[in-house]
Amino acid sequence: MNDIAPSRFKWVGTRPVRPDGVPKVTGRAMYGADLAMAGALYGKIIRSPHAHARIRGIDASKALKLPGVKAVVTAADFPDHKFEYVGPERVAQNLWHVTRNIIAREKALYEGHPVAAIAATDKAIAEEAAALIDIDYEVLPHVIDVDEAMAPDAPLLFEDMITRGIEPARSKPSNISKRLEFTLGDLEQGFAEADIIVEKEFKTAAVHQAYIEPHACAARVDADGQAEIWTATQGHFGVRALTARLLGMNIGDLRVTPSEIGGGFGGKIPVYLEPIAVALSKKTGRAVKIVMSRDEVFKATGPTSGASMRVKIGAKKDGTITAADGVFKFQAGAFPGSPVMNACLCAFAPYNIPNARSVGYDVVSNRPKASAYRAPGSPISAFAVESALDILAKKIGMDPLQFRLKNAARPGTTMIYGPKMAHGGYVETLEALANHPAYKAPLGANQGRGVASGYWFNGGGESSASIQVNEDGTVTVSSGSVDIGGSRASMALMAAETLGIDYRQIRSIVADTASIGFTNPTGGSRVTFATGMAVVEASRRIVDELRARAAMIWEVDVDGVVWEDGQAKPASSNVGDFAPLSLKELAAKKALTGGPLTASAAVNAGGQAPGFTTQFCDVEVDPETGKVTVLRFVAAQDVGKAIHPSYVEGQIQGGVTQGIGWALNEEYIYDKEGRLDNAGFLDYRVPVAPDVPMIDAVLVEVPNPAHPYGAKGVGEVNIVPPMAAIANAIDNAIGRRLTELPMSPPKVRAALDAAADD
Amino acid sequence: MPETAARVVLSSGFSRRYTGGVREFAIPASNLRGVIKALDKLYPGLGAHLEEETTVAIDGEIHEIGYLQPLRQDSEVFFIPKLEGG
Repeated sequence: MNDIAPSRFKWVGTRPVRPDGVPKVTGRAMYGADLAMAGALYGKIIRSPHAHARIRGIDASKALKLPGVKAVVTAADFPDHKFEYVGPERVAQNLWHVTRNIIAREKALYEGHPVAAIAATDKAIAEEAAALIDIDYEVLPHVIDVDEAMAPDAPLLFEDMITRGIEPARSKPSNISKRLEFTLGDLEQGFAEADIIVEKEFKTAAVHQAYIEPHACAARVDADGQAEIWTATQGHFGVRALTARLLGMNIGDLRVTPSEIGGGFGGKIPVYLEPIAVALSKKTGRAVKIVMSRDEVFKATGPTSGASMRVKIGAKKDGTITAADGVFKFQAGAFPGSPVMNACLCAFAPYNIPNARSVGYDVVSNRPKASAYRAPGSPISAFAVESALDILAKKIGMDPLQFRLKNAARPGTTMIYGPKMAHGGYVETLEALANHPAYKAPLGANQGRGVASGYWFNGGGESSASIQVNEDGTVTVSSGSVDIGGSRASMALMAAETLGIDYRQIRSIVADTASIGFTNPTGGSRVTFATGMAVVEASRRIVDELRARAAMIWEVDVDGVVWEDGQAKPASSNVGDFAPLSLKELAAKKALTGGPLTASAAVNAGGQAPGFTTQFCDVEVDPETGKVTVLRFVAAQDVGKAIHPSYVEGQIQGGVTQGIGWALNEEYIYDKEGRLDNAGFLDYRVPVAPDVPMIDAVLVEVPNPAHPYGAKGVGEVNIVPPMAAIANAIDNAIGRRLTELPMSPPKVRAALDAAADD
Repeated sequence: MPETAARVVLSSGFSRRYTGGVREFAIPASNLRGVIKALDKLYPGLGAHLEEETTVAIDGEIHEIGYLQPLRQDSEVFFIPKLEGG
């Protein structure tokens, strides 16, 4: 419940200096690659140069004879696992697949797929040894494109893969891992009621999360089997569990400490290096450190899926949408598990559409396994749906914001997966943009304006936190959530508000797996909401304890003590005439009143509200070069209650910036051998400062009553609309609809040339 | 506290796999544990699948599965696939 009125917040909603700022800007923060351990060996992964190849044999004997080489591991050093999907459908893990992605067994399934690993005394020796390992490959035909991978005659990655989700089950294997379908109402009837129908095909490219910090970890296994891992991860409890399961260890024998993290965006939830580092350490008895190069990051860690889609939407002349149908075919990479289910569920979520269907296909091909990327799945289907809606609005002759407002989902709207929407927030984002002065600003020649909206579920789940009051009355807040988006500051602000003390008295840290209770990864826009609830609950428990200590000192009943402004006070004059006791004074008497002041709390948080955003942008198209310049970007997002508004604005600006890159430049480019041609930031072009205008982040605050301070997840939904918003703006500027990402200069030029030919 | 009858709905995939296609149930229960126990009684083994593989939307609000999650009068309970973020 919102038990503290917003107007009374002293710390929540303020913008103090970030606690992790000084170490980061002075270069002292310890990232994954920064850990130096005495005697640590250099770990190097040997990767497949082929997109698809059978591994007929690996001979490491020459490498092992090289002085300084301490060990080589291959798949033979890892236990194999049963083929079974375990866990929830979207996040089901098949350890048979996972262990083969960590290190290839029968076949290499993409360029960069790990095949062996070396531990040596230094980098030069490891590299020399790598050249001495003889791997006998039988190169096989490969397939990269999702539509080609679905063709009946496509090369098969798994000769026995039968599509799940089709009944009766097919007998012929294919690269289609799974088919999904969600339906609502009567699709045929809905399209029959429509006056105007738009149907279009769209394609998006695979794009990488492009975090600045490459993956890195160090591991040490002691002689008693106890092991430690230091790693750059979004979820150290997940690293612990998966590494233990893959290697047959007890979870309790493994302690994982997360380093400072230089970006993740979903791409640092999976495990890549850690089991290999542990296996090498086990074999050598020495600590082993492995750091990926940028080339390895691009080739072997998850981009998000590229997709091929068809969307059909029908509406009446008055703008009422009557039906929507979408088919979403997603690249999963070399192993099943694209975010296509999310794409299906989010595609039409911002709208009240009585008749709808989403069909999804999860398709394997010879690419690195796709991993989560900021609102995984939703931006991809939104590109198709929000582009189609723009076409529809134009045909009807409605302003795109008014068209969306007419069809907006509101509390009570039935979602495609069944439940009725419980929370609002979408309409408010549309209204915020409609009232924004820039929305009516005039446009010049070759300029256009585009609108798009987005939806993301936001997450809850398990989180742990603890509070310690130190001897001098300062406070340490610990949580199990890796801080990617400013959570240390947010946790400290919520603790300060609840404890009634100055934010600067609080130090907020991320604790390792042995020092705090289980916590789900930092992902799904869940931390401020769920871990925040744990911090507030732990703070409340400390307040209760402090009241009890004051009652003991005053020799009164605890009900006679209240906690106000960071002090224990008598509840009324009837209790007695006592001077308030500050946190510092109570901390000084901790030993006399019962010992250390500490409290912890754990939650399985529910009642999270979804995230909505609506954005518009202005672009200018250079008719000669096809280059698109983003002139203006305004993003209105429902953020619940912004705990630290600067961080919230930063999340919005970050998501939009990544969306601009996804829209205009970023893509995985393969050569005819199935090898990645642009595995580096020179050729894989993320936006740089001159590519991005100052993004106007409009915070729309519709508090979530399920959170003590009204917080909602804010980290992901902002990346959902930019691709469609930019496509819509380009269409507005040049009168040509681009349906394929990225909308890079050659594609824009081709569209202009086609226009000239018309 | 009197028990209430919740409208409980399974996803089509789930009902196909575990209940022979039956998707909707009226179950008197005051919390989520009551719903899961009742469904497990009807379809032995279903309870474990619901606990491990789903998230639940109670009157539209999404929660992780927790036994003591209370249900209101005439609550709508949808078991939906578990979601993942980035």
